[in-house]
Amino acid sequence: MDVFIQLVVSGISVGMIYATIAFGYQLTFATSRTLNFGQGEALMLGAVVGLSLMPVLGYWAMLPVVLAFGLLQGVVVERLGVARAVAQKSEFGWVMSTIALGVIFKNVAENIWGRDDLKFPSPLPETPVVIAGAHILPMEFLILAGALAMMLAVELFNRRTIWGKAVVATANDSDAAGLMGINTPQIVTLSYAMSSMTAAFAGVLIAPVTLTGATMGTALGLKAFAVAIIGGLTSGLGVIVGGILLGISEKMTGYYLATGYADVPGLFLLLLVLAIRPDGLFGKRAIKKV
Amino acid sequence: MLKITGLQAGYGKVLVLHGLDLVVPRGNLVTLIGSNGAGKTTTLRAISGMIKPQAGQVFLDDQDIAGKPSHKIARAGLAHSPEGRRVFATLSVEDNLTLGAFSRLIGVRAKGDVSADLDRAFVMFPRLAERRKQLAGTLSGGEQQMLAIGRALMLNPSVLLLDEPSMGLAPLLVAEVFRAIANLKAQSITMLLVEQFAAAALEVADYAYVLENGRITISGKAADLKNDPAVKAAYLGGH
Repeated sequence: MDVFIQLVVSGISVGMIYATIAFGYQLTFATSRTLNFGQGEALMLGAVVGLSLMPVLGYWAMLPVVLAFGLLQGVVVERLGVARAVAQKSEFGWVMSTIALGVIFKNVAENIWGRDDLKFPSPLPETPVVIAGAHILPMEFLILAGALAMMLAVELFNRRTIWGKAVVATANDSDAAGLMGINTPQIVTLSYAMSSMTAAFAGVLIAPVTLTGATMGTALGLKAFAVAIIGGLTSGLGVIVGGILLGISEKMTGYYLATGYADVPGLFLLLLVLAIRPDGLFGKRAIKKV
Repeated sequence: MLKITGLQAGYGKVLVLHGLDLVVPRGNLVTLIGSNGAGKTTTLRAISGMIKPQAGQVFLDDQDIAGKPSHKIARAGLAHSPEGRRVFATLSVEDNLTLGAFSRLIGVRAKGDVSADLDRAFVMFPRLAERRKQLAGTLSGGEQQMLAIGRALMLNPSVLLLDEPSMGLAPLLVAEVFRAIANLKAQSITMLLVEQFAAAALEVADYAYVLENGRITISGKAADLKNDPAVKAAYLGGH
């Protein structure tokens, strides 16, 4: 039973990371119907940049710098890889260009930080606390709280500020937003910046409990994509539920079945959702206007 | 003031407007009437930058705005309440109105008193005041139309384009919308009104243009067009 609780808790914490990345996919999808397939690399860059800043700034002071770096990285991805494709109404150009940029970021990171996995110092004690017999790392609570705080902050920005409202308006009806004086291509850039910022933040959240390095992002980005599909590309609650579902099922399979099978339930879940509810568990069914 | 000369516009290779000339003098209400598919909506879209004109000039006061992106045209002072209302469904009534003042709030257009204008919009459309916090997507068609007009007014525009404000509304609401338009006219707001409901449009307008197949065929004082036999036969049901 203790092990079970332990698996659930660490499943939830890794699931929240998936949810945060998936939330980032949703941000850009809402405004531009495009996704950054290099989202995993945005996470990785956040983690390795954070790692390099740690000795100078320490964990907490490093966070705002990493957030700013994430914003900037998102702007670069959008300007280089997406803006032209969107302007030309190219349907798939952005798919290739965001994947390509992801590969480039990964190679650059390999050259700077090397190919080996690095140890990211934990800001919290690394001795597990015992709750109901289960051994839980303090960092796992920080991941949960941090991921929720980030999603909440973005939601508040969207609801309370004029720029956030402009983001929602653009997501609702881009043409009508233009009539309000909203520069919609600029809003798409902003949504990419915020998306990469959430990913970079997820990177420094998860780095202390996982291995840090150039290759850490690819699998996370892919799994988070599965979560975005499972939860629905339009539902914030959906990615949280989807992320936690995937996180827990991975941990359970890894422990009770075999570590090698840990990735299977997530992919199986993805296939199942696609077969039964193609718009995701919480996605709004697309209504075609006649 | 809005002055259009030789405007050509369309979709892809299909030209809808074949060289349109039209003037909306300051403080006037001008209406553009015509049957379905004549190019009325296309005219407004080409003016506000929703589509790029292929030729011609569009002067907003002294500035040629033809071919500029829609957000720049809005920031220059042209508001467009589009066909189908296009309110932001997942945002509240108040947020929709606030977004109408986006250019003012971010400082690319004279700010003035946004909250006073918001209050004025609620005075003008009391139904919106009752539904201030409600999501725009849950409003009735008539309420959405009032919201679309109110939102456009929040720009403090020098010219306001209104596209088919009566479309899809019950007769009682049509009357209410036209009362609001008359009210705006009394405030000397410069307006270009596109309407299929020609009788009501000619009643309220100063000047009118008739559009047929992308060309202006008749124009004149609204009061004169109301009694023009050709206009009566084609657009006023022959009464």
